[in-house]
Parts: sequence; C-alpha cells; structure tokens
Amino acid sequence: MTTQPAARTTMFGLLGPAPGRCVALGLVSTAAVGAGLLLPAALGRALDLLLTAAPANRWVAYCAALVLLLALLDAAETVLGGTLDARTTSWLRERLTGHVLAVGPRAAARFGPGDLVARLVGNAAQAGTAPTARAALPAALASPVGGLVALALIDPWLAAVLLAGAPALALLLRAFARDTRECVAQYQREQGRIAAALAEALDGHRTIRAAGAAERESARILRPLPALSRAGHRMWRVQGRAAGQSVAVAPLLQLGVVAVAGLLLARHRVTVGEMLAASRYAVLAGGVGMLVGQLAGLARARAATGRLTEVLAEPARVHGDRRLPPGPGRLELRGVTARRGDRPVLDGVDLVVPGGTTLAVVGRSGAGKSLLAALAGRLADPDAGEVLLDGVPLRELTHDELRGAVRHAFERPALLGGTLEEEIGLGPTPASPDRVRAAARTAHADDFVNRLPAGYATLCADAPRSGGEAQRLGLARAFAHDSRLLVLDDALSSLDTVTEAQITASLLGSGTHGTRLLIAHRAATAARADAVAWLDGGRVRAVGAHAKLWQLREYRAVFAEGEEP
Amino acid sequence: MIARRGLRFLRERWRVVVRLAVWSLLEAGQTFLTGYAPARALDDGFLAGRPGTGLAWLGVAGLGVLFGAFGTARVHTAVAELVEPLRDGLVRRVVARGVREGDPAALSGLTQQTEIARDAFAGLVMVSRSFVFTAAGALIGLFSLAPLLLLVVGLPLVAGLVLFLATLRPLARRQEAFLAADEALAERYGAVCPGLRDITAAGAEERVAADTGRHIETERRAATSLARWGVLRVAALTIGGELPIVLLLVAAPWLLGQGVTPGALVGALSYVTQSLLPALRNLVHGLGTSGSRLVVVLRRLLREDGPAFATPTGQPRRPADTPPGIPALTLKSVTFAYGPAAAPVVDGLDLELPPGAHLAVVGPSGIGKSTLTALVAGVLEPGHGVIRVCGYPVPGSEAAARRVLVPQEAYVHSGTLAENLGLLRPDPVPEAELRAAAEAVGLLPLLDALGGPAATVDPAALSAGERQLIALTRAWLSYAPLVLLDEATCHLDPSAEERAERAFAARPGGTLVVVAHRISSARRAGRVLVMDGRTTAYGTHDELLERSALYRDLVGGWSPVPSQPALALGDPDGVDAVAGPRLAVDGRHVVAHGPVGQVQATGDLRDGGSLGGQG
Repeated sequence: MTTQPAARTTMFGLLGPAPGRCVALGLVSTAAVGAGLLLPAALGRALDLLLTAAPANRWVAYCAALVLLLALLDAAETVLGGTLDARTTSWLRERLTGHVLAVGPRAAARFGPGDLVARLVGNAAQAGTAPTARAALPAALASPVGGLVALALIDPWLAAVLLAGAPALALLLRAFARDTRECVAQYQREQGRIAAALAEALDGHRTIRAAGAAERESARILRPLPALSRAGHRMWRVQGRAAGQSVAVAPLLQLGVVAVAGLLLARHRVTVGEMLAASRYAVLAGGVGMLVGQLAGLARARAATGRLTEVLAEPARVHGDRRLPPGPGRLELRGVTARRGDRPVLDGVDLVVPGGTTLAVVGRSGAGKSLLAALAGRLADPDAGEVLLDGVPLRELTHDELRGAVRHAFERPALLGGTLEEEIGLGPTPASPDRVRAAARTAHADDFVNRLPAGYATLCADAPRSGGEAQRLGLARAFAHDSRLLVLDDALSSLDTVTEAQITASLLGSGTHGTRLLIAHRAATAARADAVAWLDGGRVRAVGAHAKLWQLREYRAVFAEGEEP
Repeated sequence: MIARRGLRFLRERWRVVVRLAVWSLLEAGQTFLTGYAPARALDDGFLAGRPGTGLAWLGVAGLGVLFGAFGTARVHTAVAELVEPLRDGLVRRVVARGVREGDPAALSGLTQQTEIARDAFAGLVMVSRSFVFTAAGALIGLFSLAPLLLLVVGLPLVAGLVLFLATLRPLARRQEAFLAADEALAERYGAVCPGLRDITAAGAEERVAADTGRHIETERRAATSLARWGVLRVAALTIGGELPIVLLLVAAPWLLGQGVTPGALVGALSYVTQSLLPALRNLVHGLGTSGSRLVVVLRRLLREDGPAFATPTGQPRRPADTPPGIPALTLKSVTFAYGPAAAPVVDGLDLELPPGAHLAVVGPSGIGKSTLTALVAGVLEPGHGVIRVCGYPVPGSEAAARRVLVPQEAYVHSGTLAENLGLLRPDPVPEAELRAAAEAVGLLPLLDALGGPAATVDPAALSAGERQLIALTRAWLSYAPLVLLDEATCHLDPSAEERAERAFAARPGGTLVVVAHRISSARRAGRVLVMDGRTTAYGTHDELLERSALYRDLVGGWSPVPSQPALALGDPDGVDAVAGPRLAVDGRHVVAHGPVGQVQATGDLRDGGSLGGQG
C-alpha cells in the first residue's frame, strides 16, 4: 500500500482538528506524570518526619494536595481524551463520507466496497486516536525516565540495579509474542473449517429445512468443534505460561531495588521514606512497556491515517454551473474515449440519440455497453470527448440540473437499507407517496410490495427479493422522478419475458416523454427500440433498425453469445 | 436474564470455580507478601541492624512472586475451562440457528461475536477474580501487620467500591449505547459503500450524507457521554485507592502511638500503592468495558429464536405405503400472506393430484410459485385452508416423510459424494443403487469424473449445473413419493433438464410437481397450473392455450431467466439458454402425456421400483 507523505499532513495537522484540546490534553497528562513523580518523594519525606516524630503536617498536606491534583488531572485526562477521540473520529468520518459520496462509484471501484467500509469504520476510529496518542507521548516518555532519574537521585546504585535487570524484561516480552502466534493460527484454522461448512449450509438452507436435516447438518458442521476447543485451551495454556514469566519480572526487579535500598538503609545512606519512594519509582521506571504500547498505538493510528488519505486523494467529481435549455432530451456523444486502466474500452465513439426516441445498445460482453450507459448519465467521465444533453456538456451542468434530467436503472440495483418507499423515492428530494406507487405499478413492483408484511413500509432487509424483484424496485426508482433521459443498463434482464414486454410497452408506448437508452442482451428488447447501436471493439460498428441489422450474421452472433450455457 | 444464566453456568462448573479459586489463592499469596515482607524486612532486618534478615524477608517475597507466577499460569488454564465451554456453547447455538434459519448473519456471529464474548468473558473473570483475591490478600496482610491499619485502609476502599458499583449500571448503559451506535454506523456504511453508483445516479448524495451524518453524530455523542461518565470511575478510584494513602499519613502519629511499627506503616503503604490501587484500577476499567461488551454480545447471541415454523426434524425414515385411492397431494382453499396486512400470495387455491401425476407450475417471476412449493413442503404454514400429502396433514412428520423439495440453489457440502447423495436416507446407500440413480438423473458422467461415490467433493469447484445434478440425484434416492422441483434444473441445459424431469416423472408411484423454468417443462407435464396473482388456471397444456391469455403469452414469448435467489449471485449476462423461436418449433412437437408415469425414461431403472415406493 503506497502512501503519500505529502498528502498525509493535509488531512489534519499533527494535533488534529481540535489542536487546542490536543495541547491541553498533552499538558494535563504531562502534569499528571509530574504529580505522579512528586508524590512518592513527598510521601517518603512525610513518612520520615512522622517516624522521627517531627512536625510533618506540611508534608502530609502536600501529599493530600498531590493526591487531589492527581485525581483532578486524571479526570480531566479521561474526559479530554475520550471527547477528543470521539471528535476527531467523527470529524474524519464526516469529511470522508462527504468525499466518498462526491467521488461516487469510482471510489467503490477503486477500493472495493468492503474495503471502503473497513476504512470508514475501523480505520477512521484508529486514525481518530492519533491526536490523543501524540498528546500522551511526552507523558509516556516522562514517566519511566523520571522514575529512573528519581532512583538515581536517591542513590545511583538503585538506578543501576534497575537498568541491569531491564534487558530480561524486554526478552520475555518478545518471547510472549512469538509463542502465542502458532496456536492462534491453529485456532483460526479450526474456526475457518466450521465457518466454511456453515457457509455451505447457509447457501443450502432451503434444502436442509425442507429435509428436516437441520440437526444432523449442525452436527456435521460442528465436527471440528473439539479440535477448536483443544486449540483454544492450548492458547490459554501458552498464554498463561508466558504471562507467568512476564508477571514475575517487574516485581522481582522492584524487589531487587528494595533490597539494595534496604542495604543502603542499614548503612544510613537512605531513609525509610526514601526506601518507600524507591520501591514506587522502580515501578514507574519499569513502565517502559507502556511506552512501547503507546508507540505501537501511534504507529497504528498513523497507518490508518495513511489509508484514509488514500481515499481523500481520489479526486471528487466537479459540477458546472449551467442549466439545461428547454429541449426534448437529445443525447450526443462526441469522440468519447474511456479507459479502464490502460485499455481503452470505448475508443472515439460518436453517437446521437434524437430527443424522444429510444436507442438500444447491443454488443458482446466487454464491448463497453455499461460504461457507455454510465457516461450517458455522468456516472463516469470520459477520458476524452464530450457527452451532451440538449447541446450542453454534462460536466458543465449543476448537480441538481444533471440529476433532475437523467435517471438510471441497473441490472443489480443496490438497496440502501431504508423502507421500500424510501428506496423507490430515492432522489435529491423524496418522491411523493402517490408518485412512488405509480412508479411501482409501472415497474410491476406494486403487486409484490403489497404482499409484503408491511407493504411499502417494509424495510428492504425484511423483503425477500429475487433478482427480478430487485430489478423492478430499481426500475420503480428510475420512474419515480421526471427525467429527460432514462438509462436502463440491462435493467430488465432478470424479468420473465411477459413482465418485460409489459414494462417496455408502457415505457416506450405513445404518450411517454423523454429519450431512452437501453442496454440490451435480448434480441426482443432490441427489436422494440427505434434504433440499435451496435458496439464492437470499443467503437460503434453500426446504428440502424434491429430488423435491418438482423440480416447480418455477425450481428445475430452478438445475441447468440449469451445463449451458450 | 443473562445474569441468571451466567450464575447457572458457573454453578454447573463449580469444580472449575473452586480450582480457579485455589490457583488465585496461590497468586494472591504473593499479594500478602508485598506488604508483609517489606514490613518485616524493615522492622526485623534493616532497621534492627540485621541486613541479612532483611534480605531474607525480601527473598521470601521473591519466592512468593515466583509461586504467584506459577499460580498465574495455572489460573489461565482454569479460566480456559470456563471460557472455552462458553465459546463451545455459543458456537453450537450460532451454527444450529444459522442452519435452521438460513440467516447469513450467523457467519459473523461465529467468527466475530462469539470471539468478542470469549474475550470479554475471560477479561471479566480475570479482572474480578484478581480483584477479589488481591484485596483479600492485602486486607489479611494489613490485619496481620496491625488490625488498626485495616480500619484506615478498608473504609475508603469499601466506599470507593460502593461508588463504583452504584455507577456500574448507568456506565454500562452508556457503553451499550455506544456499541449500538457504532454498529448502526457500520451497518449504514455497509449499505452506502456498495450503493455509491445508485446514490450518484439518483442524485441523492446530500440526503445520504445528511443521514449518515446523523449516525456519525449519534456515535460521537455516545462516545462523549461515555467519556464524561468516566469521571465517576476516576472518583471511585481516588476514594478507594488514593485516599487510604493520605489517611495513613494523617493517622500516622496516632497509629505509631498505638504501637504500629514503622515497618508496618511502610507495609501498609506498599499494600495500597502496589496491590490495591492497581487491582482496583483494573476492576474499574475492565468490569465496565468487558461487562457491557459481554452483555451486549450475549444478548444478541442468546436472543430468543424467531417465530420459526414447526418444521419436522430428525432422522430420515422410510414411510409406509399409502393405501390406493388416496390423492398424492390435496390443497383445499389454501390462502397464504406474508403478514396480516399484506395482500395474499396464494388465495383460496384448490388442487388435487392423484399418485403418479406430473404437474408444472408456471407464471411470471415473483408471482408466488416458490411460496406454493414451500407451503406444500410444510416450510410455510397457510393462513387458511388445508394441505395434505398422501392423506397426511401438512405440516406434520408423516407428510414430511412423503415429500422432498429441491430448491433452485442446490445444497452440496464438502464431504464425500455418497454422503451428499444419501442425505435424505436413514442408512448409507449401496453403491449400485447410487450408480443407478446417477444414471437415471444424468449424474453418472460427473460421478465417474469425480472418482466414484467415495470421492470428496468441493462444492466451490463444481458448476451450478453440476451441483443441481447432485441435489436432483439425492432427491431421486429419497423414499418420498412426492417430489417438488422448484426451478431445480435452471442451471442445466435443456436436454439435461428434460432427462432429469423425465426420470422423476418415471419414478414408479412417484408424483412430480415442477416449478417450470422453461415452458418446455410445462409441455412435458400432464397438468399445468398457471399462477397470475390471485387468479389461477389449471388444466392441460392444450386446454390452457385455449383458456388462459397469460399462458398463451408465456408460451409465445417465454425466454426464461433464472430468478436469482439473492442479488449477490454472479450471473454475467442474465441471458438464458433457450430463445423464443426455438421453443416455438418445440411447440409443434407436442408430447402426448397421459399418465406421465408410463413414459419410460432412458436409463437403467431396475432399482427404481424399490426406491420410489408405492406412494
């Protein structure tokens, strides 16, 4: 994954979208570390005074004040840290969501929808912790260093003991990471076997259900469960062994420091209070592991930020400021070239669809039909050439003017998770309930929607739908707003021929307005259009009536292609 | 509900709990020494001019650390004995429900939610047990140093704990709200990202951005509120863990006056800073987070099952023969709708099929043909009316043993071919019988290519048509006299489809209902049911050509398309194998189907009689 260092800083500065809070958090946590470092010394001093029966009230008061201060700083750190994370994450998500929507389908094509979701959800949350991780860094560094310095101030020998023992600590922490990896992999393998068998059974659940075989099939899927359990137990055993080793190191180190302090105490080189302080400082100085964790967290946050920056680096679509003149919806492609990678899919295509007519686009798979449909409605921009609607280049139109003029329907419409009413009415403004129902009737979706438990208020997740039903919802969505140009990208392919014929009849029949562009696979569909454009090798090979073209053997072969199973 | 189940879960494993307690005791023994050993080292050793004794006491503490480390290792093993059974149980539940309901969410339930539950439960056990035993060790240590110390340290500790426990519930609520908001947001993105093309095409970017923005804002509020409530944790921690330090200092002159030694005072301070405070911190942070995560995830995994229909389960068996004269299938004014307010899919349908009949169901896509087969199979229950299979009421185990449903999406699982083919039979099927069935349905070439019945099949490596042939042969081998093919041949080419359909029609005593994928299926059938919304037409092919305009349309322009079961299935072109014109030619070649059972299909049917039963 390549990241652009130059772009990374443009997303937000080092301190994030709320630099004031970030600095405040840094100050608060550093102050907390400072107070934490002062407390053992004050405690030791107070204890010494108390043990010698000297007046100690002042030092006791200092201790109390430090404890109170620590509590306040801790509280401030909790609130500041939590809210800063939340704020940064939501800021990132707002920005990315807007950008991804502005980039449009290309964002999903470039990253894949699943990966995009992972970036917006997981990576944004990780990247959102970058400012707090940075703010906490000075404190995380100050704590062990301060502990060590304090030990040295009490007596250099104490610091020396700690430094001598530190390498053992590092070694054991590494052994821990190495040990567990193997059995985690084993565990995941067994889990994967169960998941694979479950996935197969989910695909065949109608068979299983009808056969009443759910219990037997569950038992079969669960066959690897004992192995999973064994792997799980092994994971805990290995982890326990590693934990047993690592939990011993820090206390032993600390006991070593206390022992040396005790010997020095016996020689009156340190006091009882200093010994108490030393044992506390040994703990603080041993907190290097925390610093390592902090750095790893920051590295994760930076990597996540990099992945978000890649998304932001995709250029957003820019709209013009022109509006459409009155017109019948004449579509014109002038010298349009579009590439996928280095390969030109459309190569200098010139095509005119007179206003109010229907053009069918046919061609072998891979001929660029869907891309042509996307260009006609500016779901993609050509690499060269121009697409015009009633004489105005699409890219010069405002967003609302463009989307008010062109509607699309697709082979596999994506539903967004709302109610069916919302799905059909999707547009710059929601379509009226009457309009939604009228559109559904035209698309032959009204019947099956009415058979759903909550009719048009059914959530699309609760609507069992076949490919044909989804296509009819997609068609209804295209019909639910007025348009000059209607682009049907293979949007009838999953319908049975009777339904398809009825829909095309009402779509192309007299009394309808606007221009239609149909991407067609079936000869019958092409036959109903006013003209057919035959795409071949990225170019328009011929434009003409279906009946005339049908006399060409190669033209007929276009339709035969799909008929091989 | 979950708390009660949790208690039961622990009660059933009291032995493990006891073992865990014993190892924790060993681990906590070290806690006892963290204060006691330094105290004795000071009083009897370093302050008494006997450094050797001091070092010895610290050495004892060191040994204690090693024992404790051993205890820590064993504690993990004991925790595993609590956590792994929980995980096992959850996996069993998730798999069973996934298979039963066919809910794709079961996969994430298996790989993610059960793992979250596992981690959170382990964290919960670790943290709470660690606190209990550490606190016990420290408090006993304090008591043995000087009972008065217990008073000074114990009171604020209890106060801090009480405060923490009091805030646990509101904190958990906020934690849950955050998790819910986070999930809702992820779900939203899960719909938006694959739908970018449609959103752009509809010009709905702003609306979607605003809607997603609301989800983002909800999540931010939940996170912020959670952070604010975190202050209460800090307060509990300060009162329970930090206040004792100050109190010990303030009370020091009095304590020393009461005979508490300097070493005991240092020991008490050690207990507080090194044992109690860290344990309390872990408890306060761990219990809130792990606890809420566990509750949220368990609530989802253990949710009561949906309103599942009483589909019969159990071992497959061979049904008794049906006495002659009883229809193979009867429907009497059957009405079905997907909800009380929804328009019915099947409305007052009457139908009767004699044994050996061959019925084709045709109609536009989405009209309810699959719903009809599901009703007959007893997978759905009619709102009104009666269905009987061979005289037995549906749903019911007698009826279920007498019918087999083959849906469009063929089920083949990783395993041997014989396992796959024998799924509907009580005992392993003899190889000769398997081969005969494969020959009848048209699976034999694939069976041989794969290496015979004992060969292992990988469903992903098979084509959709090959999977359908396996599913068809499996149904052919079942003892059920009534076979329901719900577009079960849609991925086969026309001649393979014809062979399979004829094989089923020829199963002696067998009754066949085919949801037609191609109109040729209707021509082969003796009877045709045309579904068109609420109205249906029933008759022979020729009668329906006369009577039903829809049937004429279907026959005239049938260019069938597989109705995809789900959107995600790959279907590159959506164009099917048979074009209209060729069918029109077929149309003139009318097959005279009387009782279909008499038409002998190609292939060896020697074993067919015993397989098909007498219906």
